[in-house]
Amino acid sequence: MQEKLADSGGPTAAAARPPVRKTGFGRRIGRLLGGFTSSLATIASYPTGAAGLAIIAFFVVLALSAPWVAPHAPFDVLTGESKQLLRLKPPSAAAPFGTTNQSMDVFSQVIWGSRIALLVGLTAAVGSAVLGTLIGLFSGYFGGRTDDILMRITDVAFGIPFLPFALVILSITGPSLAIIITLIVCFLWRTTARVVRSQVLTLRQRPFIWAARAAGTSELKILFVHIAPNVLPLMFLYMAIGVQAGVMLEAALAFLGFGDPNLISWGRMLNLAFKAGAVRTAWWWVLPPGLSLSLFVIAIFMVTRAYEEALNPRLRQM
Amino acid sequence: MTGFRRYLLRRLVLFFFVIVAVLTILFAILRILPGDPTSIFVDSNFSEEMVRQQRVLWGLDDPWWVQYLRYMRNMLTFDFGRSFFQNQPVSEIILEKLGNTAAMIIPSVIISVILGATLGSWLGWKRGTKREALTVFLLLFARSTPSFFVGIVVLMIFSYWLGWFPPGGMVSIGGGGDSFWSTVFSLDFLHHLILPMLVLMTREVTSPALLLRSTMLEVRGSDFLEILRAKGLPEKRIMVHATRNALLPLVTDIAVMMGFIFQGQVLLEIIFAWPGIGRELVTALGDLDYPIVQAAFYVMALTILTFNLVADLLYGVIDPRVVYD
Repeated sequence: MQEKLADSGGPTAAAARPPVRKTGFGRRIGRLLGGFTSSLATIASYPTGAAGLAIIAFFVVLALSAPWVAPHAPFDVLTGESKQLLRLKPPSAAAPFGTTNQSMDVFSQVIWGSRIALLVGLTAAVGSAVLGTLIGLFSGYFGGRTDDILMRITDVAFGIPFLPFALVILSITGPSLAIIITLIVCFLWRTTARVVRSQVLTLRQRPFIWAARAAGTSELKILFVHIAPNVLPLMFLYMAIGVQAGVMLEAALAFLGFGDPNLISWGRMLNLAFKAGAVRTAWWWVLPPGLSLSLFVIAIFMVTRAYEEALNPRLRQM
Repeated sequence: MTGFRRYLLRRLVLFFFVIVAVLTILFAILRILPGDPTSIFVDSNFSEEMVRQQRVLWGLDDPWWVQYLRYMRNMLTFDFGRSFFQNQPVSEIILEKLGNTAAMIIPSVIISVILGATLGSWLGWKRGTKREALTVFLLLFARSTPSFFVGIVVLMIFSYWLGWFPPGGMVSIGGGGDSFWSTVFSLDFLHHLILPMLVLMTREVTSPALLLRSTMLEVRGSDFLEILRAKGLPEKRIMVHATRNALLPLVTDIAVMMGFIFQGQVLLEIIFAWPGIGRELVTALGDLDYPIVQAAFYVMALTILTFNLVADLLYGVIDPRVVYD
């Protein structure tokens, strides 16, 4: 296990390397990307991680090539030869996954839905991981009053039940994807903040930080140049978990009827199908979006699990 | 013990602070609602004078901080007013729905904890075998599958295709007992409960199982087990002794679990048409029945916070090794 990490220059290897000497913005970005690709290599060295990455890659390709792969636009109404509507047709050659009660192609909708899943997952995860990491960094490093205020805000965030809160907000503002993503970000940062904070609390006591301080490095520079790179592996982990949570939460909100009405997501497909009673009459409308959602979420789980094991080898033995 | 007392005090102050903060956020949100809630009661035939009088009577012309303080007092004393549409005090409605939700959650959690703990202690004991690794993976798998889709599939198969179970609801139409308790202990209720309970369990069983497995691994190396072994006890009996010592962290885990379930409960209640508090919130949002919305939201937040508080406190009470600074 340890050798494996050392070979791939994995995230823990980077974390163990004490102060980052080389400065320069470009180089730092390079390190960030390097850390990211080597994390991917570490994940791929686990069979489950590799399988997860493959499934995610499949969905990414599907989402990017949706206009060419999907036979129809998401809201296209299908008609037969004599212009009759093709309502609730079971799977056939013309519509591989059948049609909805409004004569729309389920297959195409599932493909277009992958775009929303990826968009929500990625933006919500990046947003919440960055926000949570910043709050954790400031809270853990400066301590005192800053820490008190930020941690009380975190406590309040933990006290708000997400789904009810999001439902209330969305029924006020009206459903839109941007608001859904914002809500998910507001909900997901809290765990990252707490975990990063406790990591920073221990980092702060390490000799290389004393050395930096003795050398007269400014506080902000210590925080972002010396401490921040060491919490990046954690941030990536919570980002990955955030993708999973983000996709699930969007699906849950959309399923409850609070999805963006101008877009088709897997959750919204399930909502429409459920409302139309397709659970009883049209299994082909229910299973494809649901299975896609499950497959995608489980793939991310497999990736995060592999990454977690790489970060914390104890998990394997436990 | 003074350490614990200080901790208890700090924890209670924090609990109260968070509740006030959550209520304040709720107040702010409901005040910026578009549309005037009075328009629901005020007919267009009303003269402006009458509308103004009604606004004064309802206290809507008071400065915002008077409204805020009144709202806080009402919320903290559980005085939620009357529903806009159901001619009933909100607290009665909420209490009834909360009872229905608990009637689904509590049996599920009890069974999940017993099953999960048994499975987990077995997994910890059998560590390193192929079967153990597979079970752990399946548990993690079950935990990350979206449970509302599991619910839909279960409903589709067992209710619509096989017809073994009713397609939702808590009792059959016209069914159910005269009181809450006679309903909950009726066979008809059980028949309705099984499907949502199974779905809830697929998820809830994972947490105690994984937790007990890892605490078992810690207990396994203890000296007292060696002594039992030296006494010649069969392995199975030794496992029981080990399990008893690994059970401690489970208690706090149950409290945390309860808090989490309340969040996801909305989805299951919608799928299985269960007349619980989550479904009530969604219905009330659709009806613009704000007294119910704010009460349901508050009660859900309060439940989650209380369970978290209980979890934190139990942690110290049960395990004397925990030190407070």
